[in-house]
Amino acid sequence: MTAAVPAWLAAIPVRRLLEEGVEARFPLPPGDRPLVEAGQEVAAGDPLLEHLRDRRIDEVDVVRAAGAPAPLPGDRWTTAPGRRRGEDAVEGELLGPVPGRRDRWRLVTGEHRDVVEAPVAGVVTEVRPGAEIRLRSAWPALRAGIAAGSTTHGRLELATDPLGELKPGGIDVGRAGAILVVGSRIDAEALTRARAMGVRGIISASLAGKDLRDFQASEKRQRAALHAAPSFGVLALDGALRHPITPTLMALFTRLEGCPSAILSDPAALAVDTGALADAVLALPPDLVRIRTGVNAGLEGRVVGLAGPRRFAGGVILDAAWIRIGDEEPLDVPLGDLERYA
Amino acid sequence: MSREQLAFIAIDRGTATVAASLIVRIAGRWRLAAATAAPASIPDDAVVGRLRTRLVAADPDLATWLDLADEGATADLPPIVSITTRPPEMAVVAATERVLAPLAAIAATAGWRIRPLVLDGAEILPVATALADPRVTVVLAGASEPPGADERALLPDLGAIVAAATERRPDLVTVLAGGLAEPGGRTEQMFRPDRPGPTVLAPSPASGDGEPLRDLLDSLRGGELDGHRSLAAATGTLAEVMGRRVEVLDIGQAAGVRVAAAPIVGHAPAVRAATVASAALLPPAFTDANLDEIMAWLTVPVDRLRARDRLREMALVPWGDAAGEGAQLRLAAAKAAVVRLLAATPRFEAGPGPDLLVATGGAWQVAPGPAVALALADTVRRPGIRAMGWDHARLLAPLGTIEDPDERRAVIADLRDDLLAPLGSVLVAGDLRSGRTTGTMTVRAMANAGSVDEAATVDLDLVAGGLELVDLPPGERAEVEVRFRDAVDLGPRVRHASALVTGGLAGMLVDLRGVPMVLPDRLDERRELLASWQAPLWPGADE
Repeated sequence: MTAAVPAWLAAIPVRRLLEEGVEARFPLPPGDRPLVEAGQEVAAGDPLLEHLRDRRIDEVDVVRAAGAPAPLPGDRWTTAPGRRRGEDAVEGELLGPVPGRRDRWRLVTGEHRDVVEAPVAGVVTEVRPGAEIRLRSAWPALRAGIAAGSTTHGRLELATDPLGELKPGGIDVGRAGAILVVGSRIDAEALTRARAMGVRGIISASLAGKDLRDFQASEKRQRAALHAAPSFGVLALDGALRHPITPTLMALFTRLEGCPSAILSDPAALAVDTGALADAVLALPPDLVRIRTGVNAGLEGRVVGLAGPRRFAGGVILDAAWIRIGDEEPLDVPLGDLERYA
Repeated sequence: MSREQLAFIAIDRGTATVAASLIVRIAGRWRLAAATAAPASIPDDAVVGRLRTRLVAADPDLATWLDLADEGATADLPPIVSITTRPPEMAVVAATERVLAPLAAIAATAGWRIRPLVLDGAEILPVATALADPRVTVVLAGASEPPGADERALLPDLGAIVAAATERRPDLVTVLAGGLAEPGGRTEQMFRPDRPGPTVLAPSPASGDGEPLRDLLDSLRGGELDGHRSLAAATGTLAEVMGRRVEVLDIGQAAGVRVAAAPIVGHAPAVRAATVASAALLPPAFTDANLDEIMAWLTVPVDRLRARDRLREMALVPWGDAAGEGAQLRLAAAKAAVVRLLAATPRFEAGPGPDLLVATGGAWQVAPGPAVALALADTVRRPGIRAMGWDHARLLAPLGTIEDPDERRAVIADLRDDLLAPLGSVLVAGDLRSGRTTGTMTVRAMANAGSVDEAATVDLDLVAGGLELVDLPPGERAEVEVRFRDAVDLGPRVRHASALVTGGLAGMLVDLRGVPMVLPDRLDERRELLASWQAPLWPGADE
């Protein structure tokens, strides 16, 4: 039996915990080759696309057999091997004709190709050569504020308590292959160590802008290397300011621990295969709210009622609600700082 | 909407927040009965339900008379709705920087996010990749008319790359401008006529001050209830109703909008509008330069890294953390956005300045009125004397969706005293010699009958570099007379001027801080100076 939800609760923004049918986008720039077709079902780990790490343009003669259809931009093309030594066949994607040169085309090609795997099980909804692949996740997903690095998948593990901060020394090879929930925040040094130890992903409540930039620079160097690096992704559930992971989210992660999961970059989300769980959904009271921003950010409480316009720090008047945190007297909290779980 | 109705709802649905107002008909006039705002994720009926609750609490008799006393009673009220969405993306491509600059400048004021692409000296692959990106829905390709010597050799490649992009993406709308827009010409023939995305031949950016090209690009955005376009319509009507030149500056999460309207006797008002994505409260591609712009307006000490993190958080949760430092950070971001908006629309500076300057948009929502007035004075450094107002309930954009101009005029005429919170008046003088007394000013309050109230006369010495506040409450008017030792820039160059001004929440600001206003380079000195100007207008800001 569910408790009746007062109508005025609709004035508080809602955060969905596990969302079904999230559609993930995977960039497919010219030269990258899709390995799936629209409508195809994929499992986590199935090849999705072939990514060129060193894309370049070659000009090639596109000579077609009599009666063959005219080539189009986006078509795959393989040149015949040259007669001279070292002249191998070149395979790539036709970009467009060279103006003023009959049968001469620009071809996007490269030497180093990585296979990008599907991080989640799902159905390919769209393949647009030169643009993107869209995959509807069969796993429910928790949306997040910031994603960095690449899409990845692994088993979900808790590595610290909600208030904690994982230090570089706390990560070892025993965590290889896992996506770690690490608490309130993590620094760039710990991220690079986690990547080096074979960890597949990190989930924290927040990621400071400086650490994000340092990590992105490090990731760029890593991806520019000659050898393919395993995928590694970072997800900040809220944003850049330090908050703890709320008890409700921690309870959710505890329930999901050990499940196959994936970090998605676009949209930023954690998808989890909850198929093996009897019930992944938390039973939450409808008036449970999280204080998302502001001075009490990170706390959870129960809504007592709407307080109307109230004066806050800086002389600012904002619509507010009364929130009871634990057994304390209710606090006035701006409605904009709150979110309900659904 | 029928004039026989007793009430209707106006909703301005933005990308960050939604504003709702309850408009009721009392004594034969439309009046604003209640207004509120909420995060954009809140459904309309919940926001309107809050309005009703507020009305019932404030005036139960009126609520009963309007038949709005019961829960759910607002469901039958007719709504007028304006909607703003995130600007779509357009690739602007040209052979050289020289040709690209005017194209991109016009496209940037037509409500598009711009990806500028130049062929000269660039690799083709990044250009082709950008054109293939599904987020780009329109490509604008242009050349000089006739093509210049620097671009002629590159034009075949330009046409071929764009045509190849449309082969790959047949739905890509392609606009050929200037030298590429020859009907039946070589470039147009490169595009298949039977593809779903049209190929549009557009005027050159040099033609008609760029206005025809801007209008065409704006029309490609779609959006039947587009709040930016309806804001332009409402501003025109407001100018007509008031018989004054009106300029509106709208700063929202998705874009900044500048509208200037002037009444023309016997004709529809002249309206100019520009929607600039880069003038959003926080531009989509937030850079270090954007951070510096905001830091330069901050009145509270926040270090750079912390400010960046708070702004990133604000981009994710634009309605959150709106009190205390969060409010000051928002106002600093709004000021930086206004400066970007004005810089992107230099053509608005031609001709006489506005008589009334209006602030609107979600960015101003949390600051007190007097602080908004100061923000306008800080950023709009145009010499002259003008009134300032604040579309506090964000009513203008929804009112602009009323299609019938006569009906729109009637509703706005009724609501003119309610929809704008009077912020006061500002006198901005330029060409002053710094640090010396440059003249005197006499402010004579007007009695109700329109005569001067000699008992309420204020004399001021005018000191260059300073900002004086004259107490002139909302609803009051005064005659202002200024005498300068040397001629100064007050629109025209004058030594002596007098004007009737109106009061407001900030009273009258006598702004002799120079045009442009020069502030200290050191951030701490600058912050101290800005805070000293803001302190009397934002009481409790440092709580």
